[in-house]
Amino acid sequence: MIAPMAILLSIFVIYPLAYALYLSMFEISFYRDPVFVGPQFYGYVLDSPRFWNAISIGLRLAVMVVPVMLVIAFLIASLIRTLGRRLAGFLKTTIYLPTVVSGVVASVVFTLMYRLDGGLVNGALGVVGIGPFAYLSSPDLALPAIAVPAIWLGIGVSSLIMLAGMLDIPESYFEAAELEGAGFLAQTRYVTIPLLRNILLFLFVTGFILAMQQVDLPLVMTGGGPVDSTMTPNLFIFTQFKDPTPYATSFSLTAALILFFVLGSVSALIFRLVRSEKAVDA
Amino acid sequence: MAIAGFKSKTEVVATPFQFFPKVWELDNYAQILGDPVFVRAMTITFVGAVIFTILSLLVNSTAAYAFARLEFRFKRALWAFCIVPLFIPAFAILVTSFVVVSNLGMLDSLAVLIIPGVASAYQMFFIRQFYLGIPVALEEAAMIDGASRWTIFRRIFLPLSRAPFVVVGVASFLAYWNAYVWPILTIQNPDLFQIQQYIGTFRQERGSEWGLLMAGSFLSALPLIVIVLIFQRYIVNGVRISGLK
Repeated sequence: MIAPMAILLSIFVIYPLAYALYLSMFEISFYRDPVFVGPQFYGYVLDSPRFWNAISIGLRLAVMVVPVMLVIAFLIASLIRTLGRRLAGFLKTTIYLPTVVSGVVASVVFTLMYRLDGGLVNGALGVVGIGPFAYLSSPDLALPAIAVPAIWLGIGVSSLIMLAGMLDIPESYFEAAELEGAGFLAQTRYVTIPLLRNILLFLFVTGFILAMQQVDLPLVMTGGGPVDSTMTPNLFIFTQFKDPTPYATSFSLTAALILFFVLGSVSALIFRLVRSEKAVDA
Repeated sequence: MAIAGFKSKTEVVATPFQFFPKVWELDNYAQILGDPVFVRAMTITFVGAVIFTILSLLVNSTAAYAFARLEFRFKRALWAFCIVPLFIPAFAILVTSFVVVSNLGMLDSLAVLIIPGVASAYQMFFIRQFYLGIPVALEEAAMIDGASRWTIFRRIFLPLSRAPFVVVGVASFLAYWNAYVWPILTIQNPDLFQIQQYIGTFRQERGSEWGLLMAGSFLSALPLIVIVLIFQRYIVNGVRISGLK
């Protein structure tokens, strides 16, 4: 019964991974046979300023996206917790809906909103006398401009997970806190956050990993520009792969593997953490 | 904030040209629906997504059942083998996956979009967690009546699987429908263009026709919104069972 799954995984996941490890030791070119070069490409990639730039863009994007996303999601979840059943149900579906929108569609919608003339954002800022800005063609503004739809896409699931965690906290804790005269802030600080610590940690790390891997938004909105200011790691890998210059493929492959080692071990670690947590809870 | 984000989105989409005459509105929708390429992309993506969802439920749930209930040789090793992909990001193997599918002659076919993603460690894990929670007593009765493992799976587990199947199935459907990078790598034939690919290409080639683009984007998200509304009860509760607890 496992055979179909094991076979499919072998062909489409394990084999490509092994093959990638193998190929990363070779110089691949369309003109001649692969030449074994050992770990040479790892050196090239680690020496490449564009690779490090991509990593730093990924990190910066994650730093912009994750905290804001978590705070907003937390506020939404706190709000829904206090509401009546029907309203809560309606709101849950509402906040989930943006989650289904694809990166491509979000990119298109936000690109329209960011337009220099006639864009919603500049229109709104114009009313208070700021701007207009050409968000996506400014090296300083392009990355934050991409962070906004990334946050928007991520809020739904984060707040539903937080809400699920909040609903597991016995109502009596909140009631007790209220009797002691704790307001929303105090309750949040002394009851909700400590009890949600694991969930928040989980969301923080997974959010971070996802943001590091963001690719659809910059690909459609800016193509990585202007001057590589939105060249996230995965987009870098992708553009290198499509790059026809010799050895770009080897380069892309190796960069992807290095990134995988880092992100893969981080997610394996979280998985451990979450599982052990569960064991304790159960 | 959630409502505002949601509203502004629909508003932008519903009235694509805020500063232009509203008469254009319906025109855009009529025009995009009259575009055979758009309609074909929607249809073929839908067909692909349905096949993808069914296949992945089938493959992952049978494996999940085996891992949850059966004892067999090399179980631990196989388990490790099936769970490791959870930690392999798609991009780490993007290049070699491409080489594999092109060597298999799968480029430019629906198969290349569907088959590589069918087996999913995440889904298998999720369904297995659910199966572990089903009382063993249920099967023991059936076993005494002489039911085989397959019969038990079909008659007992599948009917109980509705909730996890909806959660996982919707996730599969979404993943297939919203995929962008993989289709633009593997599909060149315009007849097989996937919907995200259509919109991405449209954006590049006819990017100034915002009204049409918005109408198309909105219509492309519509099936997903409908699906979520239909299954909202399961999804919202599914988040609760998923991953964390």
